[in-house]
Amino acid sequence: MSNAYATDVNSPDTTAPVTAAVLNEDWLAVILGLAIFILGLGAVANVDLIGWVVSTSVWGNVSNAISPVSKNYASLGGVGALLATYVGLTLVLSAGVAALKTDVKKFALAFTAVFWLAYAGWFIGNYANFAAATPAEFQKFGISWSLRLTNEGAFIFALILGLIIANVFPRFAAAIKEAVRPELYIKIAIVILGGVIAVTVAGRLGFATAVIVRGIAAIVEAYLIYWAVVYFIARKWFGFPREWAVPLASGISICGISAAIATGGAIRARPVVPILVSSLVLVFSVVELLILPFVAQGFLSHEPLVAGAWMGLAVKTDGAAVAAGGITDALILAKNAAEGVHYQPGWILGTAAVIKVFIDIFIGVWAFVLGYIWTNHINVTRDADKAKASEIWQRFPKFIIGFVITFAIGLYFALGTSADVAKSVPGAIAEANSLRLIFFVLTFFSIGVLSDFRLLWREGFGKLVAVYVVSLFGFVIWVGLLISWIFFHGVTPPLGS
Amino acid sequence: MTHFTQTELDNELHRAPVEPLLPVEKKLIIWSLSVGLVLLAVLAAVNHFFPVTT
Repeated sequence: MSNAYATDVNSPDTTAPVTAAVLNEDWLAVILGLAIFILGLGAVANVDLIGWVVSTSVWGNVSNAISPVSKNYASLGGVGALLATYVGLTLVLSAGVAALKTDVKKFALAFTAVFWLAYAGWFIGNYANFAAATPAEFQKFGISWSLRLTNEGAFIFALILGLIIANVFPRFAAAIKEAVRPELYIKIAIVILGGVIAVTVAGRLGFATAVIVRGIAAIVEAYLIYWAVVYFIARKWFGFPREWAVPLASGISICGISAAIATGGAIRARPVVPILVSSLVLVFSVVELLILPFVAQGFLSHEPLVAGAWMGLAVKTDGAAVAAGGITDALILAKNAAEGVHYQPGWILGTAAVIKVFIDIFIGVWAFVLGYIWTNHINVTRDADKAKASEIWQRFPKFIIGFVITFAIGLYFALGTSADVAKSVPGAIAEANSLRLIFFVLTFFSIGVLSDFRLLWREGFGKLVAVYVVSLFGFVIWVGLLISWIFFHGVTPPLGS
Repeated sequence: MTHFTQTELDNELHRAPVEPLLPVEKKLIIWSLSVGLVLLAVLAAVNHFFPVTT
């Protein structure tokens, strides 16, 4: 790809026309996420099915860094748990991608590299001098300084490792591309996250509902305000043709890759246009991911939910936004803990994820609206090619169904069962959550590997980069912050016990 | 088309004739912004009168 532009951004809708595949990446994420979640719930019935998954802690001594998530599998030891996690994920994901008609052997080989490199990045990032965040941890590890990244903030190391591979070893990046699937990994993680959020909010349903309702404001902002302004800027100030302006506006304002590809398809753009825009979206989402959580920790540590909503609104692509929510959650909680305030974990991440999911729900509707206008009023096509309402469902991100199902199941187990059962639910969910963390690590690493920063300096890209910079840093980020502030300021997560 | 060469991309984005904003595009932008701002104001009012309580 020395002088030709095309990317390998993995997404459910990779071509303009809607395909009729039986199983796509979205449905695969639903199946795998649900399977992991249900296996985790086995612990409620004292059947510990995934307690062997590796759990990684902040460490000062390597021997204490990793262990199985459940004491039932203590005999495995940390290394045994790590190997079991690798083997388990390789088998399950290989079976999954076989259903997508991907070369399983190639995938398994590439996944081996992706898993170990991503995990190595996270493992290094958990070293006490990088991740320890509270005075108690400083004392525990006998250290006087730390980057204070926290356990989840250490994902950044996996991202950086991916970026190094993409930009210094592009041939190796190309060799492992079969398993570089940030969209698949984050969607599986989001499906599992549905159950995790349910258990987090179970005792505070009124509060949680109020927070979710405020997610509606996010939809209005992303679709009706961001999109219109960015489209205007791209068309009027930068003179972009319509075919480019639509996916560009959708990528910057709605939800990155999925939205760029869905709306590009809806207006019948050539497939290469939204895919090219997506590669740019990914690069900028990395920039946001590396900066915004730390800005939020610095300036919004006393407004945790403003920070969570801001990540959901400002950071583009599902993977980067939800991941940014996770890092922000860890960073802000650590900062507050250092000041003696102990919030329940998960609320900032939950707010970011819920807002992102709310925004995602309407991608199909917005794509249809644009498709209708384009095929009826701008590039008038024959009847057979006109946008149809059925495209709303076809372009609907199906992994959201998985998120809703795990949320409902988690809520039922936490609130609708006997006290004895309900007591064991958080532990069971924690097992599934440990795999959710591994999928986050894989997402971070994969985003890094797909982010070719050399694009920014290539001839022809300057104008695309310019409209992105002007829109994102001049408008989207700040309006997102303002609206997050209006709807969430003064709202804090419940205090932990 | 599966990819652009540098020259093709440069031609597309820098040398292609400018497409003027059509009335239907202007309508889309104006309606979208107007509805969005009104809805935001309504939601902000709802948020003010029914604040989240912990």
